[in-house]
This record gives sequence, C-alpha cells and structure tokens, in this order.
Amino acid sequence: MATATYVEEQRSTDKTALITGSEAIAVACKLADVDVITAYPIRPYDTVMQYICKLVANGEMDCEYIVAEGEHSQFEIVKHASACGARVFCGSSGVGWMYAMEALTVTPALRIPMVAMVGNRALDDPGAFGVEHNDALTVRDLGWQLVWVDSAQEALDTALIAYRVSEDRRIFLPCAISCDGAFLTHSQALVKVPSQEKVNEFLPRYNRADLLLHPDNPITVAPQGNEDWVMEIRRQNYAAMERSSLVLKEAYADFERIFGRSYGNPFFEEYETEDADIVLMGMGTLSTPVKVAIRQMRKAGKRVGFVRMRWFRPFAAAELAKSLGRFKAVGVIDRDYSFGSPYMSGVLTTEVRSALYSAPGSKPPVLGFIAGLGGREVTVPDVEKVANSVYEAADGKSQPLTQWIGLRE
Amino acid sequence: MTILDVTNPVEPFLRTDRMPHIWCPGCGIGTTVNCFARALIESKIDLQSLALVSGIGCTGRVAGYVKLDSFHTTHGRAIPFATGLKLANPKLNVIVYSGDGDLSAIGGNHLIHAARRNIDLKVICVNNLIYAMTGGQTAPTTPGHAITSTSPYGTCEPAFNLPHLVEAAGAVYVARWTTFHVKQLARSIGEAFQKKGFSFIEVISPCPTLYQRRNKLGDGLDTMKYYKEKSKVKHGAPTSEVGLTMTGEIIVGKFVDRDRPDYQSLLHAQMVESLGESYVEPSETVCSCS
Repeated sequence: MATATYVEEQRSTDKTALITGSEAIAVACKLADVDVITAYPIRPYDTVMQYICKLVANGEMDCEYIVAEGEHSQFEIVKHASACGARVFCGSSGVGWMYAMEALTVTPALRIPMVAMVGNRALDDPGAFGVEHNDALTVRDLGWQLVWVDSAQEALDTALIAYRVSEDRRIFLPCAISCDGAFLTHSQALVKVPSQEKVNEFLPRYNRADLLLHPDNPITVAPQGNEDWVMEIRRQNYAAMERSSLVLKEAYADFERIFGRSYGNPFFEEYETEDADIVLMGMGTLSTPVKVAIRQMRKAGKRVGFVRMRWFRPFAAAELAKSLGRFKAVGVIDRDYSFGSPYMSGVLTTEVRSALYSAPGSKPPVLGFIAGLGGREVTVPDVEKVANSVYEAADGKSQPLTQWIGLRE
Repeated sequence: MTILDVTNPVEPFLRTDRMPHIWCPGCGIGTTVNCFARALIESKIDLQSLALVSGIGCTGRVAGYVKLDSFHTTHGRAIPFATGLKLANPKLNVIVYSGDGDLSAIGGNHLIHAARRNIDLKVICVNNLIYAMTGGQTAPTTPGHAITSTSPYGTCEPAFNLPHLVEAAGAVYVARWTTFHVKQLARSIGEAFQKKGFSFIEVISPCPTLYQRRNKLGDGLDTMKYYKEKSKVKHGAPTSEVGLTMTGEIIVGKFVDRDRPDYQSLLHAQMVESLGESYVEPSETVCSCS
C-alpha cells in the first residue's frame, strides 16, 4: 500500500528539477509516454538519446529504443512505427539531419506526426560542433512545423505541445523542436516538471483511426501518385499547415488552463516592446545576450525591444506584421545564412520582410544581421552595434541591408 | 649531433603544426598512424601517388594529421569517395583510414559493395568497439554485454565480426591485429600495398576514456597487457571463428590472402570483349597543379 501511495504521489505532484535542455526533452518524452524512439549519435543531439536510454534501461520509461545504423534508417524506423499507431520521437543535428533528408521529406508528405529534436549545429564543412540554424531550416518548405525554444522549461513544454498539435487529426504533420547546440542542449536550469496526471489531461492518446496501418485495416501507404494526384495531395498538406496556427492556439490555451503557466502569444515572444522605438529579432538562445544588452541600453535611455520568433512554421505573418508596425525600425539577427537570397540576408530576415510587404499599415525598415555562426558567441557589444545601426535606419539614414556581426578582420 | 637534432623517423609524415592531436591518453589511434608511417617507409611507396581518405570520428581525424594528400569526408562516405579517386586515377594508391562506426554502421553498405566489386582500395579500420567521438554509444561492433552510454546495463545486440563480413563480401586480403602488434600491423599494411584488390586490415584499439572505463577494463596500459595475454596469432584462421567478446581471446593474424580480378580489370576486359579493337583506353589523368 505504501508503494502504491508513493507512486500515486509521484503521478500527481509537480516537481522542480535542475536539468539541461536535452534532459528536458527526454523528460517530456517520458511524460508523453512515447512508444518508439530511435537514435544515432551526433553531437549535440546525442545528449537527449543518452538521457532517454537511461530512463528506458532503468525501467522509468516503457518504450522501444534502438540505436540505428545511421540517421537515414533512424528516421525511417520511427516514420513507419508512427504509421502503425505508435507515438514516436527522433532527432539529430547538423549533417546528421541532412543525411536523413529523404526520410524527412516523406514524413510530412505521408502525414506522419513525428516529433523530432534538432540540436542545432553548423553544417559541414568546415566541421564545427557549434550552433547554426541552417540544419533545421532545410525542411521549412516541406510541411514540418518548426519551433525554436530558448530555455529548458520551454523545451519540455513545447515538446508536449508538439505532440498534442502534430497528432491532432486536423494536422497530422511532423514537428521539429530546435534547441541551440551547447547553449541550450548542455546548459542546466531549474525546470518545473508537471505531474503525469496533468500531462494525461493535456495530451490525448495518438489515434490514427482509419489511417492506421494494421492487418485489420488494410490500406496502402505511399502508393505512386504521378501527375494524377500530386497537386491535390500537396494541397491537403497546405491546408493542414494552414490549420496548424489555429490548433496551436487551442493547445497553448489548454496548456495555460491545465498547467497554470502561459506563454502569451504562442508564435513569438515580445520583450520590452511596449514603449520601444526599435526592436531586434532572433530565434533561440540569442535571446540571452539580446535581453541583457537591452536592459543595459535602456539604462542609457535607449528604448529598444526584442521579438523572439518561436514558431517559424507556421509563420504568423499577419500577427507579426501588426506588431512590428508599431516600431520605427527592425533589426533581425540570423544565426543562419542564405547565400544568394534577396539582399543576401539570412532566412529569418527575408521572411520578416516578406511578412511586412503585403501587410496593411506601417512598414518599418528591416535590417538583416548575420551573427553567431558555428557557435560563435553573440556578445552584448555585438547586440549594441546592431541596435545602433537600427537606430540610424530609424532616423532615416541609409544602412546596409545585410551586415555580418562579430566577423574576425 | 645533440639529442635535439634527432628526428623521429615518422615525423616527416605528420603535420606537426596540427599537434597536439585530439586523441586521449592511452588511445590506440596514434599507434596505428605510427605503424602506417613505418609501412610507408618500409615499402618505399611514392608518396606522390598516395591518397588517404577518412570518414568521421576519432579515427577520421587521421586525414588531418598526415602530411599526405588526404580528404576528411562526410560520415560513412570514405569508401565511395575513395572509389571515385581510384576510378578517376587508377594509378593512385588509395588508403581508406577510418573507424568501426564510420565504416561498418553508417557506411556499412559501402564497405560490402566495395569488397564485392573488389575495388583496389586498402582499408585500415581502427576498431575501438564503440562510437567514441560522440560519447561512447553502442556500435555494430560492440561486444555483447558491454556497457556503453546507450546500454547502461550492457548491450544485447550481436556484433559484427568484420573480417568475416568482408571476406564473405569478397575482400582479397583480410588481416587483424591489435595496437600491441605494432610490427605485425606495419608488415600487414605493407603487404596490402602490394595487393591488387580490396584489402581490409582491422586494428583492435583501446578507448580508455569511454569503453575501457565504463566496462572497468582498466587504462590504456591494462589494455595493452590484455592484448598481449589474450591475443592468439592464427594465420589463415576461418574468419567465422574470429568474433570478439569483451574479455575473451582475440584471434589475430592474416586470415585471407587470395587473388581475383579487381573491378578495373573486369571493366577493362568487358570493354575489350564488347568493343574489340575500337576500344580506346581512357587517357591518364594528369594533375595540372605545380
């Protein structure tokens, strides 16, 4: 009886734990009672596979776990497990994510609600272990929902939200949770770990219904479509991604109701924007130096704010444009590159400009900044340099549309 | 002459400006590089005709430390890259120098197909029984029951017996040594240089940081003692009987030395047969760099 009471307490109690971003994702997988997990080592993602395998080996988590022989088979295994009705988890980093690209392409096309963690890492060459966002961004056009988190708490919470939204019958699209390599994957922070009861209330079981691959339900998955049906199938994916914004909003509202914590606007976080003249933008753990710099600049009388994009796909263009219309100029810091893109800007900058172009109302100038590639630190002086340039643009002075920050001379 | 004037005979083969290297104390990869360099000296091979290709991982770093034409490829792709080199310039001596994880897991398919085609490559596979660089996860070569970062209570998967695998796939030269057998290893590498076709040398090597430590097998020196005591030289041993266990006997030696036409000979014969006199040999690839 004593044991039963203890187990009951464990299930119903919220706890606080000192864990890394990777551990937070592993804990979310445990709470979500994931059925099948595949792994293949690559830094910095491998930290999550090691935490999960310990949970499995210790009997704390009941799931099938296998170290595949490469990322390609790693993602193929969970894709098919998901078609058979299993809740799945997978992940990789940098070139490992690229090696899985064929599987990554067919996963949204087959409406597989896989949840994956990308421990963001620079693509080769030259080899580097540090963070860049180009790995996860390679799937931005394929039907993956993409989110960048900046803390271990947000990693855990977002993983639960990702399962809820991806496995919603209206969506059935995969979701990749991006965690900046080292800065988030390996840094410890205090995290509120919700009780199993609350998670069960928030997250229904995955139900593939008539799309389940099962001997009792004979269906063919991925038959050759040719020109007969490709357009219609693509349009279904388009519609699912369109619905994703709505389902995300529902999930965040329910998250607040059940867990008692709110993320405000699900799509982007605003920091010190109420009275801001100019704002900076970015994704992931850039928020740390940017917020510190903003606090310092505000002491010097500069009214600078920050908008951190959380969900990159779906991209909340209308809401973002409405928010950005309040400011005199915008500076977007990209931890990625897109060689040959309009104005040679980073990916996020180009998307922000595109979102503003067709929106009604005021359109502030948007400057692009490329910084922190390959894990290089973005420092407080770097952020101040960015803000100074954005201030110049706000005053109507001509500034380059794309600048590289922190580049060694 | 003072002691400072004495150069280590293998130093000319190394990019000393890249030192210190990344390998841990007690790691065996440096020893294998030493043996490789000594085999180069011994065989008097023309370094201008030599290319070294490695994949990703601890052993993959060899490409960056040798003063030779070398390429550090993507994970698992050392053999396809080397195949391209050999096809483009058949006169090259192409060495593939990589680890067990790179060659037999993510690049496993290439390994068996290169052996099947009998491409004239010399593969040196440093087998430390785990994925070392990424933190010591279970690899396809990890012996049963070994503790790794993904098998905290021991791995339950059966491991590849690499000599058996490559022999079955068609390799013409297959040998295995440990990093204790430095003379024999250098001699084997020299023999492989003389062999036309797919040659495979497995070198059992310690990873004191991740494999030996987790399995309480001691440090680098303890592993040398283990290799010394438990290795048994059996030339010509049936490769089906040379599988490894965690603490058992290690069968070493030259297991396979046979001849069969390599891919380029087969291709040439087929072109001559189908085109007859109209077949023109492709011109030699000429390097235009100074």
